[in-house]
Amino acid sequence: MQTALEPFRKAHAARNAWGVARLLSPIASPDNPARLYNFYRATNEHLVENDVRHSLRYNKSNKFSNNEFNAWTDIFVSYWRAVGHILVVEEAQNRGRLEDRQLVDRYEAWRELANNFVKYFAQDLPSWATVAMYTTAGHLRTFAIRADQQLVALGTSNAYTLSLQENMVPTAPENQKLEEAARIFHSLFAACLRDRNFDPDDTRKWGVYYMANLQFKTFFRLRNINLSKNIIRSIDAQSDLPPFDDYPKAHRVTYKYYLGVIAIFQEDYSTADECLTEAWDGCLLSALKHQELILTYLIPCRLVTKHRVPSQDLLDSFPNLKHMYGPLLSCIKRGDISGFDRALTAGEADFVRRKVYLTLERGRDIAQRNLLRKVFLAAGFDDLKEGQTEADRIRKTRIPLAHFAAALKMNAGGEGRIQHLDDDEVECMVANMIYKGLMKGYISREHAMVVLNKKGAFPGTGV
Amino acid sequence: MSMPAMPGWQPIPPQSPAYNAVPARTTLARPPPPPPPVRAGRRRTVRISRFDIPPQDQTPEKKPMVWPTPVREYVGRAFEPRNAMPGISTEAVQVKLKEIINHFAEHKMLTELNWAQHPLPQQIIAEERKFAVALPSPHVSAPPSFASHMHAAPFSFAHSSPPASPQPTRKRKSGEVLNPMLDEENLPPWRKTNNVSLKDRMTFGHQDKKQKNSALNSKSNAADLEKRKQRFQSNNVDARNDSESDLMPAGPVVGTNMCLEKPYFRLTAPPKPDTVRPQHVLEKTLEMLGQKWKTEKKYTYMCNQFKSLRQDLTVQHIKNSFTVKVYEYHARIALEKGDLGEYNQCQTQLRALYKSNLGGNPGEFVGYRILYFVYTCNKVDMNDLLAELTPADKKEPAVKHALAVRAALALGNYHKFFRLYLEAPNMGAYLMDMFIERERLNALANISRAYNTVALQFLSNELGFDSNEHCVDFFAAHNAQTLLEPTMTGSNEVTYRVKVKEGAGLFDSLRAAAFGKIDIKGQI
Repeated sequence: MQTALEPFRKAHAARNAWGVARLLSPIASPDNPARLYNFYRATNEHLVENDVRHSLRYNKSNKFSNNEFNAWTDIFVSYWRAVGHILVVEEAQNRGRLEDRQLVDRYEAWRELANNFVKYFAQDLPSWATVAMYTTAGHLRTFAIRADQQLVALGTSNAYTLSLQENMVPTAPENQKLEEAARIFHSLFAACLRDRNFDPDDTRKWGVYYMANLQFKTFFRLRNINLSKNIIRSIDAQSDLPPFDDYPKAHRVTYKYYLGVIAIFQEDYSTADECLTEAWDGCLLSALKHQELILTYLIPCRLVTKHRVPSQDLLDSFPNLKHMYGPLLSCIKRGDISGFDRALTAGEADFVRRKVYLTLERGRDIAQRNLLRKVFLAAGFDDLKEGQTEADRIRKTRIPLAHFAAALKMNAGGEGRIQHLDDDEVECMVANMIYKGLMKGYISREHAMVVLNKKGAFPGTGV
Repeated sequence: MSMPAMPGWQPIPPQSPAYNAVPARTTLARPPPPPPPVRAGRRRTVRISRFDIPPQDQTPEKKPMVWPTPVREYVGRAFEPRNAMPGISTEAVQVKLKEIINHFAEHKMLTELNWAQHPLPQQIIAEERKFAVALPSPHVSAPPSFASHMHAAPFSFAHSSPPASPQPTRKRKSGEVLNPMLDEENLPPWRKTNNVSLKDRMTFGHQDKKQKNSALNSKSNAADLEKRKQRFQSNNVDARNDSESDLMPAGPVVGTNMCLEKPYFRLTAPPKPDTVRPQHVLEKTLEMLGQKWKTEKKYTYMCNQFKSLRQDLTVQHIKNSFTVKVYEYHARIALEKGDLGEYNQCQTQLRALYKSNLGGNPGEFVGYRILYFVYTCNKVDMNDLLAELTPADKKEPAVKHALAVRAALALGNYHKFFRLYLEAPNMGAYLMDMFIERERLNALANISRAYNTVALQFLSNELGFDSNEHCVDFFAAHNAQTLLEPTMTGSNEVTYRVKVKEGAGLFDSLRAAAFGKIDIKGQI
């Protein structure tokens, strides 16, 4: 154990936050693949506590306060036990024979480690242990998800505890462990947020955004996104955080991404656009998966805020997005309303799951605008008056409502059936275009005409 | 805070009264639940033997575990129809069974135990429930679960505890009486005579209410005692002494009141049976209330009556199609009168009731929920609800209509929206009334940007007014009557043109104000 903890002693003496975090990781580093195995072999269940205690107590390099000493001892003892379970799972997976509760056991062992952080982090551990704390929490989430999957696969799983809690409205049993983990995350988040130490070199507040992101992720998975608002609110209310820009980029980008997505769900598209754009700009060029996630929400968002669809090049580099949004977007471009409706219905399950359905639905306005714009273009130009040249001739701006109606009816039909669309509804659609600023002009009921502006009848489209 | 590793089974969490565990019974009137088909029993057996390897000390050599024949027989017996106990579901039995086997497997006593005489899971559950309910305060002392049975060796195990541990016999209290005998002839007394109370032991959704009730139960011992005596006086629990009969369970109340009407009082103590009406009376009450509603339409009276009706259902743990009917009825009249508070209470309950497949009109109420989210502009919940909807749901007329309303508003298609308003099914129009004014202002804001002037008739049509007069009233109510401009037609009739463009600013601010305030009462 003395040798096994030697790297920790060094890292601790150097206040090497990442070094300590790596030592408490459930993954063996590539340069030392046998690290976990050797660590586990260094002692056994009967001796582990004494061994750890002894090797932390008697060494020259570190001086721990009593509290810190106890904290690290408990942490390494629980880490050692967790490593035991991790190795069991690894071995079982290598042999392809994972047993019934092994993933659950691994989660529960790791939870003990996380609980030790809950216990000691705010007071007894040095503030630079924040990194070790949040990496531990990050792994807890993964383990919890895997454990829940195993419990679900077991079938009978937690029916027992559940049936006692609630009979009429059973909570989703498939996330029992993750819910438990969420509570741990919240304690750790609160510990970061409430740290009284303002010295930027020595504060636990550096963990705030990581823990917030971890909680967002968890809430999304638990389908309880509303809870995220509390996190955002408590961060916004905290005035003494270090400047946002000083946080690690990874934390910032993820945080902005979640802020953007949550804003979309509340149909606050301008905030969403802003946050997602920030996330997009900050995202690593090589992180394609992340870029795809951001674009999943940024594309529908831009559709609403800027009436813009992504370029073909951009879509081409993200095949998943192309598959998901491609048909819809090309219908919008073409002004094909019935095609749009079909594409929206076809992708409905996917869109609803990603919660972009309500956003994409608004793209119908743009499709409609593009269709009506075609009618306008088709109407051609007024006859040339005296002194006018081809270059400055003016488009016909008085378009009979019937023309728009015909276009909408032709388009809204789809598969030969003419959708019922009466003239008042056509007027209503045109009125909407005008109200939403997609068209400029007014409707004259007496003349059954739409009178469009001579300049910029369809703002932002060049006519 | 380092916790011990979780055992594979846990004692029942102390905060839950034991009778909570009873899963849904569907009707009150039905005889004890239909015995699970033998096939199902066998299936379960298989599952148990496949998955329920003791979780803790799993060692590789134990993996290809073959369960001893007595254990398999025991499992089979547990699911035999003739051993089914009223009020204890097969699920509960299954869980308990798993617990038992795991326990003995863990202690490597599977082969040593006399399985033939071991009490069946349902019998153990029944014992535990009794014990747990009878505890003075369920919040403080843990009800004895199977685990405590094993360690503290209470009565039910007295005669059949594993030979490996002889202690239980020493601690036996009044063992013989309570021995749940497997012999069919010698049914335990609560099974033979007390069918009524067990039959009515149904689960009910309000966790907190339940807890409150049970806490109250345990506090007011005097009332409890009386009630229990009343219910159990027919039991021949002769060997049981008085202090023991104190510990009889305080399950659901069984009403004896025969009055049709009853004013609602918020309960602060467990109700006396003579103030509670049994279901057959309640059914008549509902009928009577239905009649009264048609003729008199007094909502305060109705609401009061319905609340007492619901209360009687709750305290008796009646959860069946009649319950659904009552909640649906109340929800509808609450909608009709715009009482969103009561409506939401009913809707919450109904949502849970529908999940147990008790009939009723789930489609209608899903429709209301959609409309309600339209009203509250709750996008997040709306999205979740859309994700929940199955293709079958979407075919329900009410759901279809509500979805169309949602889509029309999302796209600003006021024309379609007001058509849908006029043809709303069920009570949907009442719910839409909540936001019709807001949407009228919204549509006006829209129209005022697109037209200069329009005929009153056009607005009246587009905005779904019954008549031009109502439309004029609407303008007057919003101080917009100056926008109306009378014109004479050939036949000397006065018609109006509306100078909507002039009102654009006004409508915009009215619209913003209308969307700003949404009164949310007891929202789901």
